[in-house]
Amino acid sequence: MILTGQEIINSINSGDITISNFDCSRINPNSYNYLLGNEIKVFSEKDTDGSPKFDTIILNEEGYVLRPGSMYLGVTDEIIGSSLYAMSLIGRSSMGRLGLFLQISANLGHTTSSHQWTLELHAARSIRIYPKMPIGQVSFWKNDGDVQCLGKTYALYNRPTERLPT
Amino acid sequence: MILTGNKIRDEVCAGKITVEPFNESQLSTNSYDLRLGYKYLQYKSGIIDPKKRHAYDIHDIPEDGLQLESGDFLLSESLEVIGSNNFVPIIHAKSGTARAGLFVHITADLIDIGSIGKVTFQLYATLPVKIYPEMLLAQVSFWRPEGAITLYKGKYQNSTGPQPSKTYLDYV
Repeated sequence: MILTGQEIINSINSGDITISNFDCSRINPNSYNYLLGNEIKVFSEKDTDGSPKFDTIILNEEGYVLRPGSMYLGVTDEIIGSSLYAMSLIGRSSMGRLGLFLQISANLGHTTSSHQWTLELHAARSIRIYPKMPIGQVSFWKNDGDVQCLGKTYALYNRPTERLPT
Repeated sequence: MILTGNKIRDEVCAGKITVEPFNESQLSTNSYDLRLGYKYLQYKSGIIDPKKRHAYDIHDIPEDGLQLESGDFLLSESLEVIGSNNFVPIIHAKSGTARAGLFVHITADLIDIGSIGKVTFQLYATLPVKIYPEMLLAQVSFWRPEGAITLYKGKYQNSTGPQPSKTYLDYV
Protein backbone atom coordinates (compact mmCIF):
# COMPACT_ATOMS: atom_id res chain seq x y z
CA MET A 1 0.00 0.00 0.00
CA ILE A 2 1.15 3.51 -0.80
CA LEU A 3 1.11 6.12 1.96
CA THR A 4 -1.11 9.17 1.64
CA GLY A 5 0.33 12.62 2.24
CA GLN A 6 -1.17 12.73 5.73
CA GLU A 7 0.36 9.33 6.56
CA ILE A 8 3.77 10.57 5.34
CA ILE A 9 3.45 13.50 7.80
CA ASN A 10 2.43 11.11 10.61
CA SER A 11 5.41 8.86 9.85
CA ILE A 12 7.82 11.81 9.92
CA ASN A 13 6.45 12.77 13.32
CA SER A 14 6.85 9.19 14.59
CA GLY A 15 10.38 8.88 13.14
CA ASP A 16 9.51 6.09 10.69
CA ILE A 17 10.37 8.37 7.74
CA THR A 18 13.32 10.77 7.54
CA ILE A 19 13.20 13.81 5.26
CA SER A 20 15.69 16.57 6.13
CA ASN A 21 14.44 20.18 5.92
CA PHE A 22 10.91 18.77 5.79
CA ASP A 23 8.39 21.33 4.52
CA CYS A 24 4.66 20.54 4.81
CA SER A 25 3.91 22.68 1.75
CA ARG A 26 5.70 20.14 -0.43
CA ILE A 27 3.37 17.28 0.58
CA ASN A 28 1.18 15.95 -2.26
CA PRO A 29 -1.86 13.63 -1.92
CA ASN A 30 0.43 10.58 -2.05
CA SER A 31 4.05 11.79 -2.29
CA TYR A 32 6.53 14.49 -1.28
CA ASN A 33 8.32 16.91 -3.63
CA TYR A 34 12.09 16.81 -3.17
CA LEU A 35 14.55 19.48 -4.30
CA LEU A 36 17.61 19.28 -6.53
CA GLY A 37 20.92 19.50 -4.67
CA ASN A 38 23.54 21.98 -5.88
CA GLU A 39 26.16 19.55 -7.16
CA ILE A 40 26.04 17.74 -10.51
CA LYS A 41 28.47 15.58 -12.43
CA VAL A 42 28.93 16.10 -16.15
CA PHE A 43 30.40 13.45 -18.46
CA SER A 44 33.76 14.61 -19.81
CA GLU A 45 35.49 11.74 -21.59
CA LYS A 46 36.13 8.03 -21.64
CA ASP A 47 38.85 6.76 -19.35
CA THR A 48 41.56 4.44 -20.74
CA ASP A 49 39.45 1.43 -19.68
CA GLY A 50 36.39 2.82 -21.46
CA SER A 51 34.53 3.92 -18.32
CA PRO A 52 33.08 7.42 -18.18
CA LYS A 53 34.88 10.28 -16.41
CA PHE A 54 32.90 13.13 -14.90
CA ASP A 55 33.55 16.76 -14.00
CA THR A 56 31.87 18.12 -10.89
CA ILE A 57 29.94 21.36 -11.22
CA ILE A 58 28.44 23.43 -8.43
CA LEU A 59 25.17 25.00 -9.55
CA ASN A 60 24.67 28.70 -8.93
CA GLU A 61 21.55 30.84 -9.21
CA GLU A 62 21.92 31.22 -12.98
CA GLY A 63 21.40 27.48 -13.32
CA TYR A 64 22.95 25.11 -15.82
CA VAL A 65 21.74 23.89 -19.23
CA LEU A 66 21.47 20.13 -19.72
CA ARG A 67 21.82 19.03 -23.35
CA PRO A 68 20.14 16.02 -24.97
CA GLY A 69 22.13 12.89 -25.63
CA SER A 70 24.14 12.75 -22.41
CA MET A 71 23.43 11.67 -18.88
CA TYR A 72 24.19 13.85 -15.87
CA LEU A 73 24.33 12.82 -12.25
CA GLY A 74 22.57 14.93 -9.67
CA VAL A 75 21.54 14.47 -6.08
CA THR A 76 18.54 15.17 -3.89
CA ASP A 77 18.97 18.18 -1.62
CA GLU A 78 17.33 16.22 1.19
CA ILE A 79 18.34 13.15 3.12
CA ILE A 80 15.43 10.79 2.43
CA GLY A 81 14.92 7.41 4.04
CA SER A 82 12.82 5.03 6.05
CA SER A 83 13.39 2.06 8.34
CA LEU A 84 9.81 0.91 7.82
CA TYR A 85 8.78 1.67 4.23
CA ALA A 86 10.16 1.07 0.74
CA MET A 87 10.45 4.12 -1.48
CA SER A 88 9.88 5.07 -5.10
CA LEU A 89 11.80 8.13 -6.28
CA ILE A 90 10.53 9.65 -9.53
CA GLY A 91 10.37 12.97 -11.37
CA ARG A 92 7.56 15.48 -10.99
CA SER A 93 5.07 15.36 -13.83
CA SER A 94 5.84 19.06 -14.39
CA MET A 95 9.45 18.11 -15.19
CA GLY A 96 8.46 15.06 -17.26
CA ARG A 97 6.27 17.42 -19.30
CA LEU A 98 9.47 19.36 -20.05
CA GLY A 99 11.25 16.19 -21.16
CA LEU A 100 13.55 15.70 -18.17
CA PHE A 101 14.20 12.17 -16.92
CA LEU A 102 15.10 12.10 -13.20
CA GLN A 103 16.34 8.54 -13.16
CA ILE A 104 16.97 5.83 -15.71
CA SER A 105 14.34 3.20 -14.78
CA ALA A 106 15.79 2.70 -11.25
CA ASN A 107 13.14 4.22 -9.01
CA LEU A 108 13.19 1.73 -6.13
CA GLY A 109 14.63 2.84 -2.80
CA HIS A 110 15.21 0.07 -0.31
CA THR A 111 13.84 0.08 3.20
CA THR A 112 16.56 1.10 5.74
CA SER A 113 18.36 3.35 3.21
CA SER A 114 18.60 6.96 4.32
CA HIS A 115 20.77 9.40 2.41
CA GLN A 116 20.86 11.96 -0.40
CA TRP A 117 19.83 9.97 -3.48
CA THR A 118 21.79 10.17 -6.73
CA LEU A 119 19.63 11.23 -9.68
CA GLU A 120 20.29 10.24 -13.29
CA LEU A 121 19.30 13.27 -15.36
CA HIS A 122 18.63 12.83 -19.07
CA ALA A 123 17.12 15.63 -21.13
CA ALA A 124 14.94 15.03 -24.18
CA ARG A 125 15.27 18.77 -24.95
CA SER A 126 17.84 21.32 -23.76
CA ILE A 127 16.65 22.50 -20.37
CA ARG A 128 17.97 24.81 -17.66
CA ILE A 129 18.09 23.44 -14.11
CA TYR A 130 18.47 25.40 -10.90
CA PRO A 131 19.74 24.42 -7.44
CA LYS A 132 16.96 23.75 -4.92
CA MET A 133 14.27 23.57 -7.60
CA PRO A 134 11.41 21.16 -6.77
CA ILE A 135 12.32 18.47 -9.27
CA GLY A 136 10.91 15.12 -8.20
CA GLN A 137 8.65 13.15 -5.92
CA VAL A 138 9.19 10.33 -3.47
CA SER A 139 6.43 7.94 -2.41
CA PHE A 140 6.46 5.46 0.46
CA TRP A 141 5.16 1.89 0.34
CA LYS A 142 4.24 -0.56 3.10
CA ASN A 143 6.20 -3.80 3.23
CA ASP A 144 4.77 -7.29 3.49
CA GLY A 145 7.24 -9.51 5.40
CA ASP A 146 10.16 -9.06 7.79
CA VAL A 147 12.52 -6.22 6.89
CA GLN A 148 16.15 -7.26 6.83
CA CYS A 149 18.83 -5.07 5.32
CA LEU A 150 20.85 -7.31 2.98
CA GLY A 151 23.66 -4.82 2.46
CA LYS A 152 24.16 -1.24 1.34
CA THR A 153 26.32 0.18 -1.41
CA TYR A 154 25.09 3.44 -2.95
CA ALA A 155 23.00 4.17 0.14
CA LEU A 156 26.29 5.07 1.85
CA TYR A 157 26.79 8.10 -0.43
CA ASN A 158 25.37 11.62 -0.15
CA ARG A 159 26.83 13.13 -3.31
CA PRO A 160 26.22 12.39 -7.00
CA THR A 161 27.83 8.99 -7.35
CA GLU A 162 28.62 7.16 -10.59
CA ARG A 163 28.69 3.39 -10.92
CA LEU A 164 31.30 1.84 -8.66
CA PRO A 165 33.75 -0.84 -9.88
CA THR A 166 32.33 -4.31 -9.19
CA MET B 1 -1.82 -3.58 -2.82
CA ILE B 2 -2.64 -3.48 -6.51
CA LEU B 3 -6.17 -3.97 -7.79
CA THR B 4 -7.00 -6.81 -10.16
CA GLY B 5 -8.80 -6.21 -13.43
CA ASN B 6 -12.05 -7.56 -11.98
CA LYS B 7 -11.71 -5.24 -8.97
CA ILE B 8 -11.10 -2.25 -11.29
CA ARG B 9 -14.36 -3.11 -13.11
CA ASP B 10 -16.23 -3.40 -9.76
CA GLU B 11 -14.89 -0.05 -8.51
CA VAL B 12 -15.75 1.67 -11.81
CA CYS B 13 -19.32 0.33 -11.46
CA ALA B 14 -19.39 1.48 -7.80
CA GLY B 15 -18.24 4.98 -8.84
CA LYS B 16 -14.97 4.81 -6.87
CA ILE B 17 -12.83 4.83 -10.01
CA THR B 18 -13.48 7.07 -13.02
CA VAL B 19 -12.72 5.64 -16.47
CA GLU B 20 -14.73 7.39 -19.16
CA PRO B 21 -15.51 5.94 -21.64
CA PHE B 22 -15.21 2.50 -19.99
CA ASN B 23 -14.95 -0.54 -22.21
CA GLU B 24 -14.69 -3.95 -20.55
CA SER B 25 -12.53 -5.28 -23.41
CA GLN B 26 -9.74 -2.89 -22.31
CA LEU B 27 -9.41 -4.56 -18.90
CA SER B 28 -6.40 -6.76 -18.33
CA THR B 29 -5.40 -8.86 -15.35
CA ASN B 30 -3.97 -5.98 -13.27
CA SER B 31 -4.71 -2.86 -15.29
CA TYR B 32 -6.88 -1.01 -17.77
CA ASP B 33 -5.60 -0.20 -21.26
CA LEU B 34 -5.57 3.47 -22.26
CA ARG B 35 -6.00 4.71 -25.80
CA LEU B 36 -4.20 7.64 -27.38
CA GLY B 37 -6.39 10.71 -27.92
CA TYR B 38 -6.42 13.07 -30.88
CA LYS B 39 -4.05 15.95 -30.09
CA TYR B 40 -0.33 16.40 -29.57
CA LEU B 41 1.71 19.30 -28.27
CA GLN B 42 5.21 20.26 -29.27
CA TYR B 43 7.35 22.94 -27.62
CA LYS B 44 8.91 25.47 -29.94
CA SER B 45 12.70 25.52 -30.35
CA GLY B 46 15.08 26.98 -27.80
CA ILE B 47 16.32 26.09 -24.36
CA ILE B 48 13.47 25.21 -22.02
CA ASP B 49 13.55 27.22 -18.80
CA PRO B 50 11.25 25.85 -16.07
CA LYS B 51 10.94 29.38 -14.63
CA LYS B 52 9.33 30.66 -17.83
CA ARG B 53 6.34 29.72 -19.96
CA HIS B 54 7.70 28.04 -23.12
CA ALA B 55 5.82 28.54 -26.40
CA TYR B 56 4.23 25.49 -28.01
CA ASP B 57 1.91 24.35 -30.81
CA ILE B 58 -0.97 21.89 -30.61
CA HIS B 59 -1.84 19.74 -33.63
CA ASP B 60 -4.18 16.89 -34.53
CA ILE B 61 -2.64 13.44 -34.79
CA PRO B 62 -3.38 12.52 -38.43
CA GLU B 63 -5.76 9.61 -38.94
CA ASP B 64 -3.12 7.87 -41.04
CA GLY B 65 -0.58 8.25 -38.23
CA LEU B 66 2.19 10.53 -37.01
CA GLN B 67 5.75 9.42 -37.67
CA LEU B 68 8.10 9.96 -34.72
CA GLU B 69 11.86 9.75 -35.16
CA SER B 70 14.44 8.66 -32.63
CA GLY B 71 14.89 11.46 -30.08
CA ASP B 72 11.51 13.11 -30.71
CA PHE B 73 9.68 14.35 -27.61
CA LEU B 74 6.08 15.53 -27.53
CA LEU B 75 3.07 15.60 -25.23
CA SER B 76 -0.23 13.94 -26.00
CA GLU B 77 -3.37 12.86 -24.17
CA SER B 78 -5.31 9.77 -23.28
CA LEU B 79 -8.67 9.37 -24.96
CA GLU B 80 -10.13 8.38 -21.58
CA VAL B 81 -10.76 10.59 -18.56
CA ILE B 82 -9.42 8.68 -15.57
CA GLY B 83 -8.87 9.14 -11.86
CA SER B 84 -10.02 8.12 -8.40
CA ASN B 85 -10.78 9.65 -5.02
CA ASN B 86 -10.05 6.29 -3.40
CA PHE B 87 -7.11 4.66 -5.18
CA VAL B 88 -3.75 5.81 -6.57
CA PRO B 89 -3.38 5.40 -10.37
CA ILE B 90 0.01 4.60 -11.90
CA ILE B 91 0.65 4.91 -15.64
CA HIS B 92 2.66 2.37 -17.61
CA ALA B 93 3.39 1.80 -21.28
CA LYS B 94 1.81 -1.24 -22.82
CA SER B 95 4.56 -3.76 -23.26
CA GLY B 96 4.15 -3.56 -27.05
CA THR B 97 4.60 0.24 -26.95
CA ALA B 98 7.81 -0.14 -24.94
CA ARG B 99 9.12 -2.82 -27.31
CA ALA B 100 8.66 -0.29 -30.11
CA GLY B 101 11.03 2.02 -28.18
CA LEU B 102 8.42 4.54 -27.10
CA PHE B 103 8.27 5.99 -23.59
CA VAL B 104 4.74 7.11 -22.58
CA HIS B 105 5.94 9.10 -19.54
CA ILE B 106 9.24 10.61 -18.46
CA THR B 107 9.79 9.22 -14.94
CA ALA B 108 6.43 10.63 -13.76
CA ASP B 109 4.15 7.63 -13.54
CA LEU B 110 2.35 8.48 -10.31
CA ILE B 111 -1.06 10.20 -10.33
CA ASP B 112 -2.37 11.95 -7.22
CA ILE B 113 -5.53 10.70 -5.52
CA GLY B 114 -8.34 13.03 -6.56
CA SER B 115 -6.76 14.05 -9.86
CA ILE B 116 -9.41 13.40 -12.53
CA GLY B 117 -8.73 14.11 -16.19
CA LYS B 118 -7.15 12.96 -19.39
CA VAL B 119 -3.61 11.72 -18.80
CA THR B 120 -0.91 13.83 -20.45
CA PHE B 121 1.45 11.35 -22.09
CA GLN B 122 5.09 12.38 -22.30
CA LEU B 123 6.06 10.62 -25.52
CA TYR B 124 9.78 10.05 -26.12
CA ALA B 125 10.84 7.91 -29.05
CA THR B 126 14.08 5.93 -29.00
CA LEU B 127 13.42 4.44 -32.46
CA PRO B 128 11.34 5.50 -35.46
CA VAL B 129 7.72 4.72 -34.50
CA LYS B 130 4.30 5.68 -35.81
CA ILE B 131 1.40 6.61 -33.54
CA TYR B 132 -2.31 6.69 -34.38
CA PRO B 133 -5.34 8.28 -32.73
CA GLU B 134 -7.31 5.79 -30.61
CA MET B 135 -4.48 3.23 -30.58
CA LEU B 136 -4.05 1.17 -27.41
CA LEU B 137 -0.90 2.82 -26.06
CA ALA B 138 -0.64 2.67 -22.28
CA GLN B 139 -2.17 1.13 -19.19
CA VAL B 140 -3.21 2.35 -15.79
CA SER B 141 -3.04 0.33 -12.59
CA PHE B 142 -4.73 1.27 -9.31
CA TRP B 143 -3.17 0.96 -5.84
CA ARG B 144 -4.74 0.98 -2.40
CA PRO B 145 -3.57 3.86 -0.18
CA GLU B 146 -2.77 3.77 3.54
CA GLY B 147 -3.84 6.74 5.68
CA ALA B 148 -6.22 9.68 5.60
CA ILE B 149 -6.86 10.94 2.07
CA THR B 150 -6.47 14.57 1.03
CA LEU B 151 -7.66 15.02 -2.54
CA TYR B 152 -5.59 16.64 -5.30
CA LYS B 153 -6.31 20.31 -5.97
CA GLY B 154 -3.36 20.99 -8.24
CA LYS B 155 -2.71 22.90 -11.41
CA TYR B 156 -3.53 20.07 -13.83
CA GLN B 157 -7.02 19.18 -12.50
CA ASN B 158 -9.71 18.35 -15.10
CA SER B 159 -7.19 18.19 -17.96
CA THR B 160 -8.94 17.84 -21.31
CA GLY B 161 -5.97 17.75 -23.69
CA PRO B 162 -2.18 17.60 -23.60
CA GLN B 163 -1.19 19.97 -20.80
CA PRO B 164 2.18 21.75 -21.05
CA SER B 165 4.28 22.06 -17.92
CA LYS B 166 3.24 24.79 -15.50
CA THR B 167 6.44 24.86 -13.45
CA TYR B 168 6.64 28.62 -14.04
CA LEU B 169 3.76 28.94 -11.55
CA ASP B 170 6.18 27.70 -8.86
CA TYR B 171 8.28 30.84 -9.34
CA VAL B 172 5.67 33.64 -9.43
